[in-house]
Amino acid sequence: MTYTVRQVGAANTLEYKGYIEKDGKPVSPFHDIPLYANEEKTILNMIVEVPRWTNAKLEISKEIKLNPIIQDTKKGKLRFVRNSFPHHGYIHNYGAFPQTWEDPNQIHPETKAKGDNDPLDVCEIGERVATVGEVKQVKVLGVMALLDEGETDWKIIVIDVNDPFASKLNDIEDVETHLPGLLRATNEWFRIYKIPDGKPENQFAFSGECKNKKYAEEVINECSEAWKQLISGKSVDSKGIDLTNTTLVDTPTYSDVAVKEVPAANPLPAAPIDKSIDKWFFISGGAH
Amino acid sequence: MFFSSRSVKFISAPLSMSCTRASARLNLTYQHLSASSYTTTTTNTIDSIGNINQGTKYTSDFKNYAINKSTGKVLSYFHDIPLDLNIETREANMIVEVPRWSNAKFEISTKLDGNPIVQDIKNGQVRFVKNLFPHHGYIHNYGAFPQTWEDPTTENEKLGLFGDNDPLDVCEIGSAILPTGTIKRVKILGSLALIDDGELDWKVIVVDTQDPLAKEVYDIHHLFTKCPGLLETTRHWFRDYKLADGKPQNEFAFNGEYKNSKQTLEIIQECNQSWKRLIAGKVKVSDNKNIPTIANVTLSTTPQYRGTFDDSLLNNPSRPDAVIPPLVHKNYFISTD
Repeated sequence: MTYTVRQVGAANTLEYKGYIEKDGKPVSPFHDIPLYANEEKTILNMIVEVPRWTNAKLEISKEIKLNPIIQDTKKGKLRFVRNSFPHHGYIHNYGAFPQTWEDPNQIHPETKAKGDNDPLDVCEIGERVATVGEVKQVKVLGVMALLDEGETDWKIIVIDVNDPFASKLNDIEDVETHLPGLLRATNEWFRIYKIPDGKPENQFAFSGECKNKKYAEEVINECSEAWKQLISGKSVDSKGIDLTNTTLVDTPTYSDVAVKEVPAANPLPAAPIDKSIDKWFFISGGAH
Repeated sequence: MFFSSRSVKFISAPLSMSCTRASARLNLTYQHLSASSYTTTTTNTIDSIGNINQGTKYTSDFKNYAINKSTGKVLSYFHDIPLDLNIETREANMIVEVPRWSNAKFEISTKLDGNPIVQDIKNGQVRFVKNLFPHHGYIHNYGAFPQTWEDPTTENEKLGLFGDNDPLDVCEIGSAILPTGTIKRVKILGSLALIDDGELDWKVIVVDTQDPLAKEVYDIHHLFTKCPGLLETTRHWFRDYKLADGKPQNEFAFNGEYKNSKQTLEIIQECNQSWKRLIAGKVKVSDNKNIPTIANVTLSTTPQYRGTFDDSLLNNPSRPDAVIPPLVHKNYFISTD
């Protein structure tokens, strides 16, 4: 099984779309790519949206058919995450788990906040800088519960199973042993990353503590169940999410023609990024 | 922006020095080189200087030469680019070697004719600095002041240390990423006295005069409020950046405290004086066999002045960049404090 990206339009433009293909056939990264990559459910598929050290806020589109990766916009403009000193762009390979949904119709009993209506977010901490739309096989290490503007926004911490460190990292405490400072930096990064845009600090549930692998697996399971409700058409409110898929023949939104509606590949060279995105923002009480 | 049309600018008074033989010689050199006796053949404001790549970037055959834009002829980054230090405005010219957030260790070659920027070689391989988490490559636009030299042949009287035999290092903190070979007018804010492998290796902190920040900061202490964390992080970065290569932490003179703008101007002047001694041929080869080449094409009264560098320097056309090895992108996690 090989996943590739069908690029339509130039990166760093409103036209950019990255459709995911499996063996050359378009699939939805939200719905068609299986969450688990092995029967034991110890290896998961992750879709990379934002490579480490980059700023463009790319994400799986909820509204466009087959959910291509597009760049988020704010007030009609492309959204770039600011560099909060001492960090450069995102500090992980950032992305999402397929076939998961943080259900906004449900209040989580421990965080006391509703889901953020997105697939579950993932931070991959391996040494290699990933590429947009890459489908990685990862193992789960832990989870942080960010409260982003009042919504629960879990951040699952994972590592690529092919990373040289993967065999040494089996649970959250191994991360602090082998990658000292990474969890603290992760916490600080998510806490401050919207401050340069004039927003307040984000808060964390559990006093910012990173929960272990077992807790993370429970969160993944809940979000997997919520997605199953969503894709079966049984959700209270599907919030306008396009549920079209090309492989799940038993779902009401399966389509064998959607594949043909995907635009042809048009991989234009990346547009230049505005120089202002290179600016470093210094935040009192920030991470340093 | 206004630049002095003179390519070499002299400080208004000699440095105060104790009466050692070395300093007497320095004084003499200073007088010898002063104003009227020191002429240049061309006028190089930084706007008239460009740069050109030769060979393949990220390989040992890469070279970036400064050139006179109107003639296309090579200039020495080390000797022919004017420092143009202005004591009143606290400004000087800087050459960018390594852009912020990159890893390739580019530096002005002190040995090659024309002093191009090349990538440092370690154990036969082009050198990349490692990413010491949470940092991505260099955290400043890093480079050097032209016409300065950290003299390895004369002991620093206060510190008992010898210079590292390179031009004076500069860290530019503005918001723009500056490409290799860029020449910028910068405002001098302060400095940190690194001791790198036992050699004195000053790091001068500056900001591009065109950066909006330049209007808000006039001295080192302004950075504590304008750029919280920057100075502490800079000190930690230089202390630790070789740890991932298995080397020990670097140390600092003056307990790692920053010198202010005024003190830093004096350090730059001293290094400019050392360079004047070097370019005048006053540093004997027997002092140190690795002293830099002093060939130049603008300083007509110096012993190694030439009309032009050999045209063959520019016979290796620029080719597409080599791929940076993926391991260069690895983060290193080292628990230090």
